[in-house]
Amino acid sequence: MSPVEVKHAREAESSKPSLSELQDAFQRAIMLGDDAVLHNLLDNSRTDRNVLFGVYRHAYVSRLVEVVRNDHPFLHRYLADKKFDELARSYVAARPSRSQNARWFSHGLPEFIEEAYPNAIHIAELAGLERALSDAFDAPDVPPLEMADLAAVPVESWADLILEPHPSARHLAFKTNAHALWLALKNDETPPPVESYPVAENILTWRDGSTPKVRRMSGEEAMMWKEAINGVPFGALCELVSIYDDPETAPLRAAQHLQTWITSGLLAKSASA
Amino acid sequence: MFAEAPRESEAGRPMANEKPRYLGFGLGLRAQHYSDILNGDPDIDWFEVISENYMVPGGQPLRILDQIRARYPIVMHGVSLSIASTAPFDINYLKQLKALADRTEPVFVSDHLCWTGVHGINLHDLLPFPYTPEALEHVVARIHHVQDHLKRPLALENVSSYVQFRNSEMPEWEFISEMAKRTGCWLVFDVNNVYVSAFNHEYDPYEFIAGIPADRVVQFHLAGHEHNMTHIIDTHDALVCDEVWTLYEAALKRFGPVSTIIERDDDIPPLPVMLEELGKARHLAENVFAAPAARHD
Repeated sequence: MSPVEVKHAREAESSKPSLSELQDAFQRAIMLGDDAVLHNLLDNSRTDRNVLFGVYRHAYVSRLVEVVRNDHPFLHRYLADKKFDELARSYVAARPSRSQNARWFSHGLPEFIEEAYPNAIHIAELAGLERALSDAFDAPDVPPLEMADLAAVPVESWADLILEPHPSARHLAFKTNAHALWLALKNDETPPPVESYPVAENILTWRDGSTPKVRRMSGEEAMMWKEAINGVPFGALCELVSIYDDPETAPLRAAQHLQTWITSGLLAKSASA
Repeated sequence: MFAEAPRESEAGRPMANEKPRYLGFGLGLRAQHYSDILNGDPDIDWFEVISENYMVPGGQPLRILDQIRARYPIVMHGVSLSIASTAPFDINYLKQLKALADRTEPVFVSDHLCWTGVHGINLHDLLPFPYTPEALEHVVARIHHVQDHLKRPLALENVSSYVQFRNSEMPEWEFISEMAKRTGCWLVFDVNNVYVSAFNHEYDPYEFIAGIPADRVVQFHLAGHEHNMTHIIDTHDALVCDEVWTLYEAALKRFGPVSTIIERDDDIPPLPVMLEELGKARHLAENVFAAPAARHD
């Protein structure tokens, strides 16, 4: 034993650490590699405590890397094992889990990639798309707005109609072709080269029934969606659409967007006039 | 050592309510088997569900849980209660756990006798602690807190461990026995975990079985592990080994008919393979008791 180890061993034997002190040391040993807790542990006759404690150290990282893998199957496929595990390990080291449910552990991955790898926007966006689809999968159950609900609204009240998005719906504005990468990976095709877009591509994710879905939105639809979920009433949405493009067909285009949203389950039933 | 310990009946908390009913032979519910279970009529008496998998806002996980619950008895088994942690309880977690229990109406709610982290961090592992009077007092108080919050008794499972603490003052079974006596909690007896810990810490697993109060055990867990010669790791990725089957037989003889499940968390095989293993448990129990095993219907 080194002098430091001898000192720790003497301290461990001479004082009984409290449960709180032991748990603090145990956690530091797992997360930071601090060996102090080993002096409070015993060897077995076949091997020493360092090997035995190593089971916890190894399990901590490998379990959380696996959680990230399971949550990001297409990012994993895109980067392949070595690069993905490197990314996941750096995430585990930088963002320890603060949730009692491992379901939320990888939730901060897109922002982590943005910060840690600022030149890999497509990777962050790919992770963001997978997160949005996972969130859609188990988003709250809210009855979707149906065409019959809309038919019950008096015509004179349509202008005041406020639309409420289904809680599973997310609008993503991508600066790269991350959606095309995701589609290729999903279809087991070779992903295209990475492209950066001068104007963001608008992507919508949501749950239709029990199935998470993703599709592109036109610039006009994205503008109308963004304003709609901010609580702008339908009448004002029509005006915004008329400014965006041909004013003559604006009411029809706005009605078409609304119909698409309703038939896809993108709006919640609690829309109010 | 514990002669002075107050009985819970004296402390105003009745010893646990009625013992949960015998459920027969079940499986840990896994997503890989959802379709086979809901589209078929597999020979399974009940399911144990991982609580956290269904502590989500909505969507398919809860819909499937409702469908399974409509057809089978369910036990909720959590992994993040962290009953032995010195960190304060996560109130939001306890609320979600209660909400799920109120929705699902499980036969009982269980978790592990371990801690999972301190300082607001969850290591997502079932971590050991020293078996000391201090830890016992702490765990007993926390079990009371949880049982009061859930308004239902809790069952706790012995975990596999890889290290022993220099300052432990009693064997694990003595700690568990006293904990159950003081709180009225039930016990999930994981046969594989006893085998794993006994090998790792070089004690006699049959002494463990003999040291557990038979009337508190409400469930058996059976699972596979990875043998590394110097130590065993509880991986839940393999078939139950012969030594664990032998220990299961001894546990049946000591504890009587106890609801049993097979746990598998990695390399999960198709449902028929799980059913074959479950059939082995059923057959073994039938031989021990020389009577047909109970079925939920």
